[in-house]
Amino acid sequence: MRRVNLSPLIAMVYRQVKRWFSARSRLVSTVLNPLVWIIFLGLGWGSVFSASGFKGALPGIPTPPGLSISDLVQKYFNTIFGGVDYLTFMVSGMASMTVFLASFIGGISVIWDKQFGYLKETLVAPASRKLVIAGRILGDAIVTTVQGLIVILLGFIIASGLRIAGVGIALIYLFLLAITFSSLGVVIALKLSSVEGFQMIVNLLTMPLMFMSGVFYPFTTMPSWMQVIALYNPLSYAVHAVRYWLTGADVGLSPMTPLNDLLVLAAGATILLLTAGFAFEKTSIEE
Amino acid sequence: MDVIVVENLVKKYKDVLAVNGVSFTVRKGEIFALLGPNGAGKTTTIHIIATLLKPTSGRVIVEGYDAVKEPGKVRRLIGIVFQEPSLDQQLTAYDNMYIHGRLYGYSGNELRKRILELLEFVDLKEYAFKQVKHFSGGMKRRLEIARGLLTNPDILILDEPTIGLDPQSRARVWEYVRKLKNDLGMTILMTTHYLDEADELADRIAIMDHGRIIAMGTSLELKNMLGSDVIYLKLSKQAPESLCREFNGVKDCRLLEDGLIELVVENANKVLPEVMKLVMEKGYEIREVSYRKPSLNEVFLHLTGRELRDSLEASSPPRGRWHR
Ligand SMILES: Nc1ncnc2c1ncn2[C@@H]1O[C@H](COP(=O)(O)OP(=O)(O)OP(=O)(O)O)[C@@H](O)[C@H]1O
Ligand SMILES: [Mg+2]
Repeated sequence: MRRVNLSPLIAMVYRQVKRWFSARSRLVSTVLNPLVWIIFLGLGWGSVFSASGFKGALPGIPTPPGLSISDLVQKYFNTIFGGVDYLTFMVSGMASMTVFLASFIGGISVIWDKQFGYLKETLVAPASRKLVIAGRILGDAIVTTVQGLIVILLGFIIASGLRIAGVGIALIYLFLLAITFSSLGVVIALKLSSVEGFQMIVNLLTMPLMFMSGVFYPFTTMPSWMQVIALYNPLSYAVHAVRYWLTGADVGLSPMTPLNDLLVLAAGATILLLTAGFAFEKTSIEE
Repeated sequence: MDVIVVENLVKKYKDVLAVNGVSFTVRKGEIFALLGPNGAGKTTTIHIIATLLKPTSGRVIVEGYDAVKEPGKVRRLIGIVFQEPSLDQQLTAYDNMYIHGRLYGYSGNELRKRILELLEFVDLKEYAFKQVKHFSGGMKRRLEIARGLLTNPDILILDEPTIGLDPQSRARVWEYVRKLKNDLGMTILMTTHYLDEADELADRIAIMDHGRIIAMGTSLELKNMLGSDVIYLKLSKQAPESLCREFNGVKDCRLLEDGLIELVVENANKVLPEVMKLVMEKGYEIREVSYRKPSLNEVFLHLTGRELRDSLEASSPPRGRWHR
């Protein structure tokens, strides 16, 4: 039989992808979840952040000459949401959020593997541990990027301001984001033995990371302490870049440019992937 | 030729001395069984040989490679079936095999062919593309055996290959193991806590208890350690050691737990009446009498004072060690 160097990596990619196909309920929930956010938050706030329905004058405030109040309000909203309506703004962040959540929680399968004995099967193989875990992360990243793509495609149905031309580039950012958080999930899971413990840690981290990433509201209007945290959140860079490529809206903090976003995500993905590699090399069946 | 050499193996978990100075060798082409009750240290020993655990002290050499220093080399040589299930239940039998082959660096048509061959060998070919979660315990076990054989290992390690299986499935697994030895000359190291399994399959048996090997040899050699027959008398009260000295024509006499006396004799039929008469004369009431041709159970009883069957019931196998 032929010996292939990357074979163990391919083995694990194959496994993660196959598992995803066999667990269709997972697919439904990953699409349903962002859909709920989009419908209730996006549509709900969408009409708040829009002046089109507003015709009259504001009591006690004189109308400036040459401008209607609704034009003025609309101009303000356009500025803070980067020139797009709120629904488009939010939907373009939702793909990043989906990928983030799915890849981070994906680490839970490492704990299943410990409990169902599959970890031993991977540890006893004469394969490079780094390749094995990289394959697993890569597989998860592919799967979650596809989930992100599904959310983007749904976005085209719901929101009006998305551009089809940006989808391909956006996927690159989403993929790097997926590698980053899959790796982080795996690193945490390798240290833990219970599903509950893992879920607790992940839940504790996801909420703040999600809200301080620019998915739901722009960075520019955040309190300054929140901006500082957002700068250290890899998700922010994906949200900014994906939104930029999908809608043209360039609403970020000063270091965020499409190129810088790419560099930050690539660096994050590399560092965490290597960390996962080292963590897996040290893994043994002894607690 | 010795394929596996284990020297003075010691493994200490935090506060448990699981393996306490174990030495043995496994020869090429033989079936070697570690036989012992729950917690004897069989799985720990096997995991060290398979490079999954590091020994506290001692050495394991597999075909000349040290399991600690060159784990990669050792891993290539062995196929292993773990005591606890280690299949991906979400995937099909074929995919479980395929991923295993890929992990070991195989691919292409030849891998595909070999997977189907092995699934046929364990009578699972028609289930190749069914999800493993729908399989019975016996089918899962057979799949794991097929998976262990996929990369054509020199040595197959089976940890409790028939644990929890119904009699038909057990017989089937035994048949495969015999075939592997007879047709392919494969070296097989197995553990079991079933006496009949060790008796039936193994060329040589090491009896393990509390982390030590307490006897080793062929099934016949072990049984010959006793004599031809073994008599057990259960008395109403614990007898003193001195009672043993009173018997004539008895090769060995020992006092075991619960007023049980073990007598090793040439021919039980002949000496039994005299033995019983003597005991009653000494003022003991006899509760039970039995005599048996020695089986491995008598050997175990002789060596430890406990029945292997009793020690099995006394403690349930530790499961889910990943939970705290
Ligand atoms: N990871 C671990 N941490 C702590 N103690 C352990 C661990 N694994 C096993 N032990 C202990 O070491 C001893 C030997 O266990 P081992 O599993 O090797 O026995 P065994 O002969 O395989 O028994 P069984 O029939 O239950 O499989 C037991 O007392 C067990 O509780
Ligand atoms: Mg065991």
